[in-house]
Amino acid sequence: MGENTEKLTEIEKRVAAVIETDVGDSADPFRKIAKRAGVDESTVLDIIRSFKERGVLRRFGAVIRHRRAGLTDNAMVVWAVPEEAIEHAGRLLAGRPEVTHCYERTPPFLGIYNLFTMVHGRSGSLKDIVAGLSSELDVQEFLVLESLEEFKKESMRYFDT
Amino acid sequence: MDDLDKSILTILQRDFPLERNPFDVVGRKLGVSGEEVHLRVVRMKEEGIIRRIGGIFDREALDWSGTLCAARVPEDRLDDFVSAVNALPGVTHNYRRNHEYNVWFTLLAPSREEIDSILDSIRRKTGVDDIIDMRAVRTFKINAAFDL
Repeated sequence: MGENTEKLTEIEKRVAAVIETDVGDSADPFRKIAKRAGVDESTVLDIIRSFKERGVLRRFGAVIRHRRAGLTDNAMVVWAVPEEAIEHAGRLLAGRPEVTHCYERTPPFLGIYNLFTMVHGRSGSLKDIVAGLSSELDVQEFLVLESLEEFKKESMRYFDT
Repeated sequence: MDDLDKSILTILQRDFPLERNPFDVVGRKLGVSGEEVHLRVVRMKEEGIIRRIGGIFDREALDWSGTLCAARVPEDRLDDFVSAVNALPGVTHNYRRNHEYNVWFTLLAPSREEIDSILDSIRRKTGVDDIIDMRAVRTFKINAAFDL
């Protein structure tokens, strides 16, 4: 366990272990969580609010399969950005709704591609989106890494004991 | 999916009400009943549009380490390699991609040392040596909530 995982109380860990799974589609999800965690519903709601305030939870809600929701054109796009331009490029990309993830990584892929993005669009739109980003960033060296096959896609279980 | 489905999904991704009857709250915002919202949630779950409802924890806040790995795997070793990688609980995403580095996966572990040792053991077990791992040094955006 990472150090901070240990800073959660026992009750918080029990709630965390339930909400990192699928809590289902009942009309009263927090009551179901409470039942599984062995606490009452208002405690569940308090803990989730506190997790969000502390930044422990990025969010609570629906996780969608973007392909089934119509966003069928997706790729990892990696950009070769000069070190001094990274901050600007990262912020610009992060501001785009089509870009859901943006990280600077080290070592750079193949020695040059240091800025990593996930880009999502409707059918057939990706090429234009990426071309637009390239010209705005003034970065011509990039790779579009399409996913040809999904081998695994799951949510992380940090509290699965 | 119609416009009401899209509005429901947008709210449920970004602003899921932390209330005893969350779908009633969503219904009030959208001018429909809570039952209508709930029925659509059940349907979208059945259709696989909604993968799950739950929490997404922040890896850094939990002080875990993470990395993105790209491996160059010969075709005849691909099945074994994918099985070995998928069996790891810290691997959440694993894709074949259109590059000579053909297998890309994410790996999370409680510490950097554990990531190194997991990757060493994968190399030994599969005979695939060429795995590069690329740590995030700056995070500009993590947002798996989609505008629909």
